[in-house]
Amino acid sequence: MESSISFSEFDFTNKRRVKRVESFLNSIGLDFPSSIEYFVIAKDGDKLIACGGLDGRVLKGIAVAPQRRGEGLILSVMTHLINIAYSKGVKDLFIFSTPNNIELFENCGFKLIENCDNKIILMENSDKLKLYKERLALHRKDGNTIGSIVMNANPFTLGHQYLAQEAAKRSDWLHLFVVKEDLSEFRFKDRIKLIRQGVSHIENITVHEGSDYIISSATFPTYFIKDKGEVNELHAKLDLSVFRNHLAPALGISHRFVGTEPYCVVTNNYNKNMKKILENPDGKSNPIEVVEIKRVEQDGKAISASRVRELLKRGDFKELEKIVPHTTLEFLKNMQGKQ
Amino acid sequence: MNKIKKSAYAGTLESSDAFVQIEPIEEDEIRVELTSSVEEMYGDDIRELIKSVIKELSISYISVKVQDKGALDYVIKARLQAAILRANEDEKINWDKL
Repeated sequence: MESSISFSEFDFTNKRRVKRVESFLNSIGLDFPSSIEYFVIAKDGDKLIACGGLDGRVLKGIAVAPQRRGEGLILSVMTHLINIAYSKGVKDLFIFSTPNNIELFENCGFKLIENCDNKIILMENSDKLKLYKERLALHRKDGNTIGSIVMNANPFTLGHQYLAQEAAKRSDWLHLFVVKEDLSEFRFKDRIKLIRQGVSHIENITVHEGSDYIISSATFPTYFIKDKGEVNELHAKLDLSVFRNHLAPALGISHRFVGTEPYCVVTNNYNKNMKKILENPDGKSNPIEVVEIKRVEQDGKAISASRVRELLKRGDFKELEKIVPHTTLEFLKNMQGKQ
Repeated sequence: MNKIKKSAYAGTLESSDAFVQIEPIEEDEIRVELTSSVEEMYGDDIRELIKSVIKELSISYISVKVQDKGALDYVIKARLQAAILRANEDEKINWDKL
């Protein structure tokens, strides 16, 4: 049988071709993943037989038509995708997939990071996780209760400060991770600066820069569009499994502290999953106890960063003063002054 | 011994080819990470080959990752040389040396 396979690359602005990819994926029972920037397709004559996509550092939507599997098409698709990524200056890549594809992607140079519930896997093609763990391990402290907090702090409020203080009181040492992704209103650089200033009076604390492995667009893409309520539960579980099995052991973490979440459904669900995943007695690593600390209130309302952003829009510094530490207040005033 | 200027790659993941990624590192060594479909038979030979190609070009401080899909020696050599030339953005290629 004659066949001529051709490959082509295009980006998300090419609506007509994106539509074809979508119907191809649907025809073989796969969902069309949201937010792909670049696509690769393979066609035999006019028929679409394989595809793949790149979204930042994450490869998505990789599929081959069932009757064309076993021909090595996936290797060509992966080569094209890696070439695109390289040409954009991205060389460390991640893949979300299902466990039956582990070997396939291992053949493309990817290594398994985590397999969650045998439903979803995360793989990467670099050694960055190992290096990150080694760097973390340098900050390991001895003690019976080694606490941890992960925060975005967009921006740092009295609520965050209270959580850190309470957690530090109950821990021999506290590790605070700052979400590194620059997808929030406040930049990482500013968020971590305000956190450092706001916890400078606590003696038993280390503030860590987050990474691709802790609530990032790689491990937990839907976190950053939580306003749309589109958080994928599997992504949340995956993120927590990476924390439990990789990051926590590097630092000997025994507890994770979170604020109670009265408003945001997404965060609330995340906290529920946190208990399920981190406290599960059987697993590859030691369980981690989750401690919920009641949020501080001000005038009967829990303090939240979203309230700060709201007040800031209105320029209501009188109200802001009540819910952020003076270091954050100074920063916000400066920021306002510059605009 | 020379350092490469930046990271680079060459090749494909397809059968009978090799995909080569190189990166500059701080340590004075040639760090080789090989994944090969013919590891049992030729793994050690391929690692030797990779090291000798890099040494011929007087390069060190380099990490090399190779996904080999049963490529012949000269394919691996050519892919590796191409990656190194790309990493150094060499305009004038000294063909005698290659």
